[in-house]
Amino acid sequence: MSGKDHSSAEDPELVRRAQRGDMVAFEELVARHRDKIYARAFSMVRNEEEAIDLSQEAWVKGWRRLQQFQGEASFGTWMTRIVINLCLDQLRKQKRHRTESIEEMDEESGGVERQMPVLTINPTAGLERAELRRRIDQALGQLSYEHRTVLILHEFEEMEYKQIAKTMQCSIGTVMSRLFYARRKLATLLADLKKNDQ
Amino acid sequence: MDKETQLKLQAYLDGELPESEARQVANRLAQDQEHVALLAELRNTRQALVGLEIGMTLPESREFFWSKIQQEISRGETATSTSASATGWTFWRKFLFPAGALAGLVLAGLIALFGGSEFSTAETAVADPGAFTYHDFSARTTLVWFSYPAENDIADESPTATVP
Repeated sequence: MSGKDHSSAEDPELVRRAQRGDMVAFEELVARHRDKIYARAFSMVRNEEEAIDLSQEAWVKGWRRLQQFQGEASFGTWMTRIVINLCLDQLRKQKRHRTESIEEMDEESGGVERQMPVLTINPTAGLERAELRRRIDQALGQLSYEHRTVLILHEFEEMEYKQIAKTMQCSIGTVMSRLFYARRKLATLLADLKKNDQ
Repeated sequence: MDKETQLKLQAYLDGELPESEARQVANRLAQDQEHVALLAELRNTRQALVGLEIGMTLPESREFFWSKIQQEISRGETATSTSASATGWTFWRKFLFPAGALAGLVLAGLIALFGGSEFSTAETAVADPGAFTYHDFSARTTLVWFSYPAENDIADESPTATVP
């Protein structure tokens, strides 16, 4: 099978070939989905090196578990779930090693977000895409991993509350609270960034 | 606005409310500006995140990234096969040790009966029952015979070695 054949083959065909041990087919799958897998890892861990390592680990795991892939979801979705789980494991490990900040304790106990004033002006209105991305990146980096992850799973992965709760091993109520806090906090951070620029 | 109402408003935005509750929230929105403002803020934040990851690329070339994955896959497969062969060796070693000891004793007996001089000895090291030493003092020869292969990486790299 030539490289040209692989590049023109659809994902399910490449997966079937890779399941039979065809490494070239798997390499083509990596090339097709590597940016998305990396982007997901980066959004979650907010560190380039770590995101590269985690996405690499996800691909190795993907190869080893390829026989378990039955095609219920797309291959890209299946791989994304693998990298999300690896990131969550990593973030949980890191959290165990650091002291919780006062802000995080406030977030968990709830109530802070209710005291935030509602923003009547959209802080992202009129921003160039690149600038918007820079500001959101900065704001996302200031959220705790639990809040950031809920936001990412909901907005980027388009998961429902129930799926997020299962992935993060928490209740639907916790997902709703975290999502609410994350959105409100993000809005406030974006407004602060706008204020600082003026 | 209490927490439950806020979360319900958010669930309304996300399409997670059953129809009857969604209708209630919609009615409330028609009457309450505070509800409208909060919903607008939540919607703006959601909108700002749309397409954020588009164009994000892995900062490594296709070849380099793949070579690292391939290396890791190969390393894993080598470790698996080494572990499988190690398990096999552990199984056979149970039989090889007694067989080796017996063969050593037979060899020592044969040398003593037919070829050994009065200055020769054959012995088994106490510290290692799998090793046998034969000394022929007249010929100034010492022969050490191990009844098992060495268990280290060097032995794996060069499985046979002949000493002249």
